[in-house]
Amino acid sequence: MPYKNVLQVKLLNKSFKNIKAVDDISFSLEEGDIFAFLGPNGAGKTTTLRILLDIIKADSGSIRWGLNGKEGLLPPADQIGYLPEERGLYLDVPIIRSLVYLASIRGMEPSQAKRTAMEWLEKLGLADRAKEKLQVLSKGNQQKIQFVAAILHKPAFAILDEPFSGLDPLNQEIFIDYIKELNQQGTTVLLSSHQMSLVEKIAKKVFLIDSGKELFNSTMTDIYKNFGHQHILEIKFASQIPYDQLQHLGNTESISSEGSQKVKLILRPGIALNEVLEKLAGIEGLTHIQSHNPNLHDIFINLVRMQKS
Amino acid sequence: MNYYKQVIAVTMWEYRRFFKLKNELLAIVIMLLIFTLSYFGGKYATSLASAKVHLAVLENSDSQLIEMLSEAFDVEVIAPVHKEKYLEQINDSNNSLLLMQDGEGFKLYARKKPGKLDELQHVLDGYNRIKTMRKIELSAENLALVLKPAPLEEVYSYERGSRGRTILAYFFAGLMILAVFLSFAYQFTAITGEKQLKITEQIVSAIKPQVWMDGKILGITLTGLSSMFIYSFIGILAGLLYFQFSGRPITEVTQYLHIPSILLYIPFTLMGIMLWNALLAAIASVITDPNNSGKSSLMMVPVLFVGASFLVLNNPDTGLSVFLSWFPLTSATAMPVRWLVTDVSWWNLIASFAVLAGTFYWLRKLAAKIFRVSVLISGKEPTWAEVIKLTREA
Repeated sequence: MPYKNVLQVKLLNKSFKNIKAVDDISFSLEEGDIFAFLGPNGAGKTTTLRILLDIIKADSGSIRWGLNGKEGLLPPADQIGYLPEERGLYLDVPIIRSLVYLASIRGMEPSQAKRTAMEWLEKLGLADRAKEKLQVLSKGNQQKIQFVAAILHKPAFAILDEPFSGLDPLNQEIFIDYIKELNQQGTTVLLSSHQMSLVEKIAKKVFLIDSGKELFNSTMTDIYKNFGHQHILEIKFASQIPYDQLQHLGNTESISSEGSQKVKLILRPGIALNEVLEKLAGIEGLTHIQSHNPNLHDIFINLVRMQKS
Repeated sequence: MNYYKQVIAVTMWEYRRFFKLKNELLAIVIMLLIFTLSYFGGKYATSLASAKVHLAVLENSDSQLIEMLSEAFDVEVIAPVHKEKYLEQINDSNNSLLLMQDGEGFKLYARKKPGKLDELQHVLDGYNRIKTMRKIELSAENLALVLKPAPLEEVYSYERGSRGRTILAYFFAGLMILAVFLSFAYQFTAITGEKQLKITEQIVSAIKPQVWMDGKILGITLTGLSSMFIYSFIGILAGLLYFQFSGRPITEVTQYLHIPSILLYIPFTLMGIMLWNALLAAIASVITDPNNSGKSSLMMVPVLFVGASFLVLNNPDTGLSVFLSWFPLTSATAMPVRWLVTDVSWWNLIASFAVLAGTFYWLRKLAAKIFRVSVLISGKEPTWAEVIKLTREA
């Protein structure tokens, strides 16, 4: 079955006073994608998502939605789920009432919303607390309720802004499972995050953004194909890092220290590992050496450096 | 999902969130308790105050004066020889008074200024009047003839401005002030509370700012009206009980009920409350932190305008009154009041209502626009100049 674009964004621009928050970015999502929008804090991720949702207007560019066979310039509220970066729910209202209300303004019938909300609460182990006020729940459970509120109406497209922020490692894994399950049920997912190690586990496509500009936009397979072959060496020394000797190695794309005794070397593409290891063996004080291919975090850092240089 | 369905969803949410029958009834019970306490407390205080005060006069005083004083005071006649002893006694007592005739005048001795001084003055004035009349040989009948007011027959061709209608006007204006006060509190919590809880972004991703604003205005109006209805119902019930037990005829109140006036007031009052809710919502949309915002005081402005419409009652035909009955921020109360107390043509009523409704329509649009541009501003509160600039750009 041919995939079709459910969202097409072309040459989007947005400035706040003198700051260019979004700078000529374009991307598209196909049905069934898990599309990761990655970048550091202040990169322009949330601004882009708010533009997509018509909460703020772009200065220029175009957005075209195509969900469930209907094309349009504005996001259809009943088919979109949104988990904002700034979390918030009615703390003084029973959980079940909040969930039903938020689903009903997105077009779900209240009775159906109540049934589905109870199913979710059962799954979260919170069914017996449905009539309690949200403020009595722990922060982790409040985050789960917030997630349920965003996707309760079974949207065709879910926008999750920093879904892992504020979660402990255990809950981060649980949320990864929720997102996978949501996607398996047919929801296209666009998520933004700066926690790349977590996104790596679920994303099918990736868009790297920094200072409002596109750094990379393709599939996860492509990003590793293009930038994943370089070797990264993490080296520890007994005392001070001998920078002079390391710079004389040649063949390195970058050298960055991680503390006073640890250093990270990124080798140039195509450089054989043995060649460098032989040279390293001659350096005194080396206590530990580890080699690996770059992960998403390394690739992103490298791309930012390349762009700035 | 269409506009109306979403507006109804938001309206009902706001209504159920803020209208709590239990709280309303509790407030009424507390109010009744305070009323009962102040009623019986007041009665007790009055009974204490009405007790006759002890007043001593000397034996050689005019017998007519003693007789007149005895009606209002507990009079003790003492011999002149005991005067000094009595004056010493006064220094140790708060309740002893000694009155002495001093030529044409009087002298009052007491430890401190007594509470019944006005009453004493009144008796002494009466006594002096009688004494003077006796001196100039003026009979009571002749005095009555001198003081009789000039006869004035009042003939009006327009008789709407009856006391009953004026009371009705006050009643509706009072209800409107109550509704605006209630709306002020609810609207503030509904909007700034949502902003502080950071829910707004989630809401505006699902519904248009206009839907959100209309739902808020209608929901809060409904909440205010429900409270108004409950207070009116309890008031009527209390009134019926009062007339039942006091034996006074209920027609004393029912004569004030004028159905055409009530029918006129209902649409004006409803539209007025909605207009104020739209304005309050617009102000609340700009406030990020209600505790530290200088704009919070603006929420009290509606009460000034509603209060201004009372000016119409005394002089309904002045230029100011005519202006107030057309100006949308006062017309909801001022126009029906003018209609009650003076001559206002039907087209004036319809046109004033149309201006009011048109202003409400425009204000709800403006409120939604302000909300749209203010919703994502956090931290520093925008100035009005920034809001106007952003609203124009939106």
